[in-house]
Amino acid sequence: MAETTTATRPPGPDPAGADPRPHALAAARLRSAARALPWTLFAAVLLLPVGGFLLVAFSPRLFDQGGSWFTLSAFRQVLTGWTARALVDTCLVGAAAAVLATVVATALAWITERTDLAGRGLWRLLLWALLLAPSYLESLGWTWLVEPQGVLSRLLGQDPAVLRGLVFGPVGVIWVLASRGVPFAYLAVSALIRGMGREFEDAARTYGAGRAATARLLLPILAPGLWAGFAIVFAESISDYGVAATLAAQANFPLVTGAMEQSVSTFPAQFQLASAMGWLLLGLVALALLAQRRSMRGRSFTVLSGRTRPAVRSRLSARGQAAALGTVGGFFLLSLGVPAFGAAAASLLPSGGRVTLSALTLANFRQVLRSGEMLSALGYSARMSVITASAALVLGAFAGRALARRGSGAAGRLLDLLLLASIALPSVLLASGYIFTYNLPPASELGVNLYGTSTLLVLGYLAGALPSAARLLSGSLGQISDSLLWAARVHGRPAASAWSGAVLPLVAGSLVWTWLIAFCGTLLELPVSQLLAPPGDEPLSVAITRQLQGYDVGSGAAMTVLVVAAALALIAAALGALRLLLPAAHRLEAVA
Amino acid sequence: MTARLRVENLSKSFGAARVLDRVSFTVPPGRFLVLLGPSGSGKTTLLRCLAGIERADSGSIHLGELPLARGRTHLAPDRRDLAMVFQDYALWPHMSATANVGYALRRRRLDREQARLRVERVLERVGLSGQAEQYPHQLSGGQQQRVALARALVAEPGLLLFDEPLSNLDADLRERLRVEIATLTRESGATVVYITHDQAEAFALADEIGVLEGGSLVQLGSPEDVYHRPASPFVARFTGLAGELPGELAPGSAGGAACDRVAVRTAAGVVTAVRGDRLALTDGAVRVLIRPAAVALARDPGAGSGSDGDGDGSGGPGGGPAGTVVDTAYRGRGYDHVVELPGGARLTGIFDRRAHPRGARVHLLLDPEGCFAFADPRPGRPAEPGTAPAPAPAPAARASAADAAETDPVRTTLEVR
Repeated sequence: MAETTTATRPPGPDPAGADPRPHALAAARLRSAARALPWTLFAAVLLLPVGGFLLVAFSPRLFDQGGSWFTLSAFRQVLTGWTARALVDTCLVGAAAAVLATVVATALAWITERTDLAGRGLWRLLLWALLLAPSYLESLGWTWLVEPQGVLSRLLGQDPAVLRGLVFGPVGVIWVLASRGVPFAYLAVSALIRGMGREFEDAARTYGAGRAATARLLLPILAPGLWAGFAIVFAESISDYGVAATLAAQANFPLVTGAMEQSVSTFPAQFQLASAMGWLLLGLVALALLAQRRSMRGRSFTVLSGRTRPAVRSRLSARGQAAALGTVGGFFLLSLGVPAFGAAAASLLPSGGRVTLSALTLANFRQVLRSGEMLSALGYSARMSVITASAALVLGAFAGRALARRGSGAAGRLLDLLLLASIALPSVLLASGYIFTYNLPPASELGVNLYGTSTLLVLGYLAGALPSAARLLSGSLGQISDSLLWAARVHGRPAASAWSGAVLPLVAGSLVWTWLIAFCGTLLELPVSQLLAPPGDEPLSVAITRQLQGYDVGSGAAMTVLVVAAALALIAAALGALRLLLPAAHRLEAVA
Repeated sequence: MTARLRVENLSKSFGAARVLDRVSFTVPPGRFLVLLGPSGSGKTTLLRCLAGIERADSGSIHLGELPLARGRTHLAPDRRDLAMVFQDYALWPHMSATANVGYALRRRRLDREQARLRVERVLERVGLSGQAEQYPHQLSGGQQQRVALARALVAEPGLLLFDEPLSNLDADLRERLRVEIATLTRESGATVVYITHDQAEAFALADEIGVLEGGSLVQLGSPEDVYHRPASPFVARFTGLAGELPGELAPGSAGGAACDRVAVRTAAGVVTAVRGDRLALTDGAVRVLIRPAAVALARDPGAGSGSDGDGDGSGGPGGGPAGTVVDTAYRGRGYDHVVELPGGARLTGIFDRRAHPRGARVHLLLDPEGCFAFADPRPGRPAEPGTAPAPAPAPAARASAADAAETDPVRTTLEVR
């Protein structure tokens, strides 16, 4: 004990330079700013074009698009005539789809999370499939089924005019948008239902509440999830382009995103109108997110606490099991089964003549594989998707890490804001912004010759894929306690080996999932592909929708079936490899 | 491998907040230093600086002759030859207990067989031979902490760091693991730095205790020193008090400037106390801080005829202040009492083998060795019975396992990193 010195504040001069550095604070600020710099640059490349595009609605003169420095004429024009109609329709369709999706998702979540329904793994897998499939695929499936001379009319020998009337109209559009939105709403609601425990129900029943009264009690507890689900589906629906370009276009039921695409791709392009529509679309998305936030204000619904036990699943009677299976199965039949059947049947049917079982043919597949057109489109899209998914993975991991450490300063908050902004930006708006800005003379004067190149296409894809990749990864990276990495460092592993040994196995599952989601999302992405594809290269989705425009339904369908099968095979192979190579990672998988 | 740890003028700020302010200390080879402090006192930051996880703004750290941090040099954590037990254990969830321990041994580059034997031995030493192949999530909290301990010990590092390793465990387990940490680390011969906010844990484990307040090391010494000669009211309060009595120095009652005792006139009578640091005899307002172990109940309260106020606090039975029992709590070996004194001050954790019922009048005996007089910067403030930390067992009568379960250590809020 005698050897211990107690020199806490030595009065003499300080040998080890204990003087607090006066510039330490400034240095810290500088470091923080330096950390934010890459993201700021990245945002400038990704988001600034959209800013310029949005400006043109007010000030066409600024970009040589018109005579006045400030005008609202574009808004006046958009708010009259058929574009006004499209705006109202978009709102109504979006709201209806959001309500429907939230109701269906809540029912699904309740059945899958709180009962012993058979085949829960399969249902969850189908939800993922629904999440990954682009909306125009579902539209196409329905179209092939009900169109004149389509699958149903040839199978039944009778034109399904009534059904066609329904599908090619608001009902069909709402259904496709709603079923596409169900996975989003499910994700928002199911975690809450899973974590809620049975205590609230039990308490209500103890105090004499009947079934209806109990439900009335539980609904407000679920409100945050329900609102979140509604807001997300509404925002997704009104900014969806796949349905607008397929089902709605064929039904002569204009939607805003379709109208925007038309204004940009007609000659001469009416950027001013498209920009004004972009503003209105953005306003609606912001409104939805604001409504969700307001509904949460002042309420605390922390239903997940250390004390909450996971709810016991209630055992369904045989009849209940059948009814639940019927409900869940029915939903997936309508959202995935029917369109899949439409695509499969359309691809197998001969181009003309009577339909019999023996007449089914692989001729369409053969033709697609032989023509080379599809293979080159697939090759091109696959290349773009690999680049996009890999870039989204790397950048998303860094962004996700920064997000998970939110509160670590201005950089984190800025990043959060940027990601939120780019999630809220509809792809059509993004792509229009790119076309507009990178086509401006100053861009080429600056030596930025991105217009009409595959690089711009990848940038567009990346702007779409990065935010969700970052969000997905921030979840699993945020769950990894810092101390796991530091424990490896402290016990003698250098930085890289510590990361690969102590952290990588834990996040490998999410990394693979994130890559797959970005890859599949990009492979069949429509709006950005449609607007930004360079001349001479045709992305897959453009090739497929072009073939839908009538001239070769069979080949288009065969192409779709092949691509979806290939994507599913890729997912299965990747997950299988993951399970094989990283058994521990599989056990601890954060996503799934 | 064991080495002297030397920390000099270590400072660290986060933004404008100074979390470490010129901290200096030395731990001789093989000694066990406990850094004690409330949340926000900078102890976690200090430990993370030692580990190399945090980079100090200025100052130096040496382990033996090896500079870990000095000026612009900052040795990476993996090159510091130390091991650390984390508060959340930080076991790698994808590795079994054996793999977790084995991973930390890789730095020694042993051959496979040697490494296996060493891992086996250390797991056996912490009593986990039967759970060697289990994953962290299959182990209980105590077993997880044992794996973390084995992982820290296996490579026989020169310096062992402990970041509040027992704070997530229940009282009984905490005491058992405390004993294991004390014996295993001493067997290993490593120099140890251990941080905690629990004074009972600190007193029980330490060869030396350093008390941190607001980023400064305010006292460093043996547990007995810290307990019997707290350097400040903060240290006294943080290491366990029965209560505080405001008062003023009784003129002429002290034995002069050289004497280390003073008499203080309080509402409960005159109390003799050890003169605290920096207490001038001319100071008027004074607070007497009283250790629980310094208070006893007079055997025979009826025999004491002394009227309140005339006792000197050091006299025989019945000579101390009188008060009323407001709470009696059965503690197995006897009873803890809370006694309210004239003036409203309360003394808590007063032990007696015999129960004194609530409402009973009792006389207290105060041992001057456990009463400390410090200048009162805010005289007139009433004693706050609720603010004093719960009493710690006196180091002289260190708690047995059963006692530790009885006394609630101070529980502060989450450590701010």
